[in-house]
Amino acid sequence: MPEGKLCNRKPIETEEELKTLLSDTGGKKYYEEMKSLDVDSGLLWKTIGNTLKSRTKTWLEICAHCGMCADSCFLYLANDCDPKQVPAYKIQSTLGEIVKRKGQVDNEFMHMVMETAWAKCTCCNRCGMYCPHGIDMGVMFSYLRGLCYQQGFVPWELKIGAGMHRVYRAQMDVTDEDFVETFKWMVEENEEDYPGLEVPIDKEGADILYTVNAREVKHYPEDLAEAAILFHLAGENWTVTSTGWEQTSLAMFAGDWAACKMQVESVYEAMERLKPKRMIGTECGHAHRATVVEGPYWAGRSNGKPPVESIHYVEWLAEALREGKLKIDPAKRIKKKVTLQDSCNYVRNHGLKDITREIMSYIVDPGYFIELSPNREHNYCCGGGGGFNGIGLFRPQRNKGLITKRDQIIESGAELVIAPCHNCWDAIRDLEEEYKIGIKWSFLKPIIISMVEIPEHLKPEE
Amino acid sequence: MFKKILFATSATEASDHAARVAFNMAQAYDASICIFHVLGVPTRGFSQIVMDVKTKEKVEIDDEYIAWVKEEIKVYYSKQLEKAKSYNINYDIKVAVGFPHREILREARNYSPDLIVLGGSTGDDEDSVYKKSMVGSTLQRVAKAAPCPLLVVNRPAASFWGGISQIVFGTDFSKASDAAFKFSVNLAKDLDCELHIFHALDISNMHMGRLLTQDEIESQIRESLRRIRGRYIGELKEIKDYSFDVWEGLPYVEIVKYAREKHADLIVMAHHTQKTSNEDARLGSNIEQVIVRAGCPVISINK
Ligand code: SF4
Ligand code: SF4
Ligand code: SF4
Repeated sequence: MPEGKLCNRKPIETEEELKTLLSDTGGKKYYEEMKSLDVDSGLLWKTIGNTLKSRTKTWLEICAHCGMCADSCFLYLANDCDPKQVPAYKIQSTLGEIVKRKGQVDNEFMHMVMETAWAKCTCCNRCGMYCPHGIDMGVMFSYLRGLCYQQGFVPWELKIGAGMHRVYRAQMDVTDEDFVETFKWMVEENEEDYPGLEVPIDKEGADILYTVNAREVKHYPEDLAEAAILFHLAGENWTVTSTGWEQTSLAMFAGDWAACKMQVESVYEAMERLKPKRMIGTECGHAHRATVVEGPYWAGRSNGKPPVESIHYVEWLAEALREGKLKIDPAKRIKKKVTLQDSCNYVRNHGLKDITREIMSYIVDPGYFIELSPNREHNYCCGGGGGFNGIGLFRPQRNKGLITKRDQIIESGAELVIAPCHNCWDAIRDLEEEYKIGIKWSFLKPIIISMVEIPEHLKPEE
Repeated sequence: MFKKILFATSATEASDHAARVAFNMAQAYDASICIFHVLGVPTRGFSQIVMDVKTKEKVEIDDEYIAWVKEEIKVYYSKQLEKAKSYNINYDIKVAVGFPHREILREARNYSPDLIVLGGSTGDDEDSVYKKSMVGSTLQRVAKAAPCPLLVVNRPAASFWGGISQIVFGTDFSKASDAAFKFSVNLAKDLDCELHIFHALDISNMHMGRLLTQDEIESQIRESLRRIRGRYIGELKEIKDYSFDVWEGLPYVEIVKYAREKHADLIVMAHHTQKTSNEDARLGSNIEQVIVRAGCPVISINK
């Protein structure tokens, strides 16, 4: 029977429900209710019957328990090689069991599954590269999260996050008006330094449609200003949309597939309405994965692609620097030891490994760029992916999970970590707060702004 | 001149001097005052947790917490608020969550004040993680983008009890300085006080390390005095008393010394909006150095 008032199998549909859940500080009552939330085994088994892909089934069956994936998981390493952190074990003891028991699992079991799905895997997809059979826990855990979500066993913040997307089509309570108004404000704030700076809204047929992360609007609108400035200096014909501007998807982290679809469709609608040549998203890894890599499947697009060509910010930036649309003042290039955090979400899922290094070659003085080891598609997750960063309940586990990245950075000797991904940026920020290793961290945009040459005709007079 | 004052405060001792000035101004000008406090800085990704800037604790923000913080502020300023009530001054207490500079600017945009009074920060968190994550202090960032004059009180402004009788306007002959000049003149007229126009000839590093000869310095001083006469003096007809001077040295040091000599109650200067490189921003512009050192309130004007 019991479904709680706050913790239940129903998704958030209205602003009021969202507020009610938010007012349950820290999810106290929510998690209390979760303790007596029943598992709807019938629904669970039926869902599995309908949605478990044959690939996943095969993966579960063919795993040889060889353990070769163990070392590949940063959480296994950060937790002193705890056997319970071996990727194969994590999935076999959760999804594997549920399938074996045909959905007949109880509340206590689902609590364990929830913790495993959100606190023991960030869906970074690294293990999949090391398994001789190509078994990818990241993919399976994403699927498992969907089952958890359907049953109501989802961390409080992510139930809220998914609800935000359902209510606002954004990961935070930022409305379309807020978005447009904030962008305009940022342009006003900077137009003296950059005469002619503007933010074209809902312009049809522009070369670039720019999409963002709602957090930029809410807390760091400087990021919007920086994006506008760089497009301006590069002489781009760009626009933003007044609706469907949010590229991220906490719904993806939550396993709320219906909300994923709603969210990404709002962006695709904007593409179809404005018909830009290309869509460029902000410096966010999971946003790119959600909108460009996975989104087309959620939205049921047969060609597996978004309505218009969609690229990550780093791809645009590399191109602008390569083609000389943006010119770097060589004297202002970075002259301290700097490294790069590869975001799993676009390095493993979208192959963007060389392009970021190309950017480094333009902005760092020769000899100062250091690679983390391992790097590129072999890089470890920052430690906070897949929603891990924001879940209060699993904070201790998350802090432990940062250790792998911390040690990688210390070993590199870098003073500055460039993280062109919101989640990675957050995790590295928290890592500094937690372990105080004396590093700085940054997105690319502010760094580029500090060293870009302003073309003569765009300079302020005086 | 001032109908609405936005007082951005930490609601701690660090803002006490600023509070005195803000409430005095409100009283003198019969202005409404909005007491604005940014209570917490967001942390933990997209979660609801913020760091309370006063207690330095991680807290989860809900309506109850916000109400509690407002009540604390009310208690902290109870004396001033009582007085304000007796003078029929409208006031409002607002709190927000976010990065202080951004939220102050956001509120300034909403409230459209004629003056922002910025209190001191809580000080000891200079190297806290949120500050490290962006270049420049709250002061620098607000000063750069404020839509109206920004008044900052860094050190006890003892003379301010009795209002303003001496204003020092520091100029570097820029366009922004012209705006600051206009403002100084209006204020001097309004308050019926003396205005001292000052320019410091920067002999620190302007000449590529070459030392200027005394003759060169003196001729440049004469030139600056000419510029002051040409540019400003004509506008001073309605000012009862004024003076103007040019000294040479390190500008922010000289202006602080000059203000002391003139017993200034207020310094008015322009904040330059030109893009500064990161290094410069850290060092702070001239006016920021003045703010840190001046013994009286400083008003920064950027447009
Ligand atoms: S996807 Fe990443 S976090 Fe998850 S088990 Fe594999 S390596 Fe570990
Ligand atoms: S490496 Fe592959 S086959 Fe071996 S235990 Fe891990 S998942 Fe199973
Ligand atoms: S947060 Fe960054 S490093 Fe971690 S999984 Fe996401 S993209 Fe990868």
